[in-house]
Amino acid sequence: MVKQQANWSPYDNNGGSCVAIAGADYCVIAADTRMSTGYNILTREYSKICKLADKCVMASSGFQADVKALQKQLAARHLIYQHQHNKQMSCPAMAQLLSNTLYYKRFFPYYSFNVLGGLDNEGKGCVFTYDAVGSYEKVGYSSQGSGSTLITPFLDNQLKSPSPLLLPVQDAVTPLVEAEAIDLVKTVFASASERDIYTGDKIEIVVVNATGIRREYMELRKD
Amino acid sequence: MSIFEYNGSALVAMVGKNCFAIASDRRLGVQLQTIATDFQRISKIHDRLFLGLSGLATDAQTLYQRLVFRHKLYQLREERDMKPETFANLVSAILYEKRFGPYFCQPVIAGLGDEDKPFICTMDSIGAKELAKDFVVAGTASESLYGACESMFKQDMEPEDLFETVSQALLSSVDRDCLSGWGGHVYVVTPTEVKERILKGRMD
Repeated sequence: MVKQQANWSPYDNNGGSCVAIAGADYCVIAADTRMSTGYNILTREYSKICKLADKCVMASSGFQADVKALQKQLAARHLIYQHQHNKQMSCPAMAQLLSNTLYYKRFFPYYSFNVLGGLDNEGKGCVFTYDAVGSYEKVGYSSQGSGSTLITPFLDNQLKSPSPLLLPVQDAVTPLVEAEAIDLVKTVFASASERDIYTGDKIEIVVVNATGIRREYMELRKD
Repeated sequence: MSIFEYNGSALVAMVGKNCFAIASDRRLGVQLQTIATDFQRISKIHDRLFLGLSGLATDAQTLYQRLVFRHKLYQLREERDMKPETFANLVSAILYEKRFGPYFCQPVIAGLGDEDKPFICTMDSIGAKELAKDFVVAGTASESLYGACESMFKQDMEPEDLFETVSQALLSSVDRDCLSGWGGHVYVVTPTEVKERILKGRMD
């Protein structure tokens, strides 16, 4: 008798793509607003972006139930931090917290592919990219989700991030201005939604800079 | 590991103004080992028709030999070269003959048809044709190529512009794929000439 396999999985993939780009004094974080399951669309207006702290925003694709639970967990831990330290968590601090929170569930992971974006303590843009179990890295730009294989090569081409292995150590942040970075984000999502069935409907773009956090939207293909 | 990912490959063809470009990477590997860095994936059928074959290299070579044979017979009988549309039908038929034991290849066909109109198409391993007006991609780097081409493509590019676009799209895409790379091979074909260029990219 062959060993019985489970035909119920605790996970599902709700699709979607996320992108973040770090600039000299800003950070752009964007995600599409489509939530799907299999070949069906559950909703066209779901936000995958969550504000974790004053200067720290997270976008996550993957299994949205796990994403919701993760966001709740981080918000609770942030509140405790504020009570204990009487200040908001900085983006690098939140980055470490997210990594630890993900690894805590190493053997039953959050099915969540995250990009964290914001301003560091000096006001420079920073982007952190994660895998599902918390391995993370500070980068100049990143893309996660179903459209990431379509988006990342084009971002490589346009942003030409230097290798972190080169000496002298070069800055990863892009020299582009805020408006150019937003245009680039709109271009990559338009391209991704042409060829990826899980990406589309609308893009939600969040910009973090010295004046605060701003949100804007752009329509995408609905098919 | 899929049989289509055994050797590694990247192929792209793009349409321009009265011209087309077809490009490939140069790596031949056996899973994670690189065997050759000058592998030719694109072959000339005649002056105005090029065929690129991605996937399992042995099947690509056998398929190429069979197609050249059929085209030479056609030339003897018809006393002319095959039109790209006709050649595409031939490739599709030959692939479907092996429907239940297929060649593990994905071809990309590019040529100049009647009145110098550029023609590109790709098909799956059992001959389902996909005719496109802008670009077609194939190989292990195909998802990356879709993204890069979709973002960089413009209608009616001149041959020089087209070469730049295809090269940038190819190099950016293979840099994100471990199984393809080691440079590029780009053919830009106009009604009057064929320009073959080798690209140097990340040699890994």
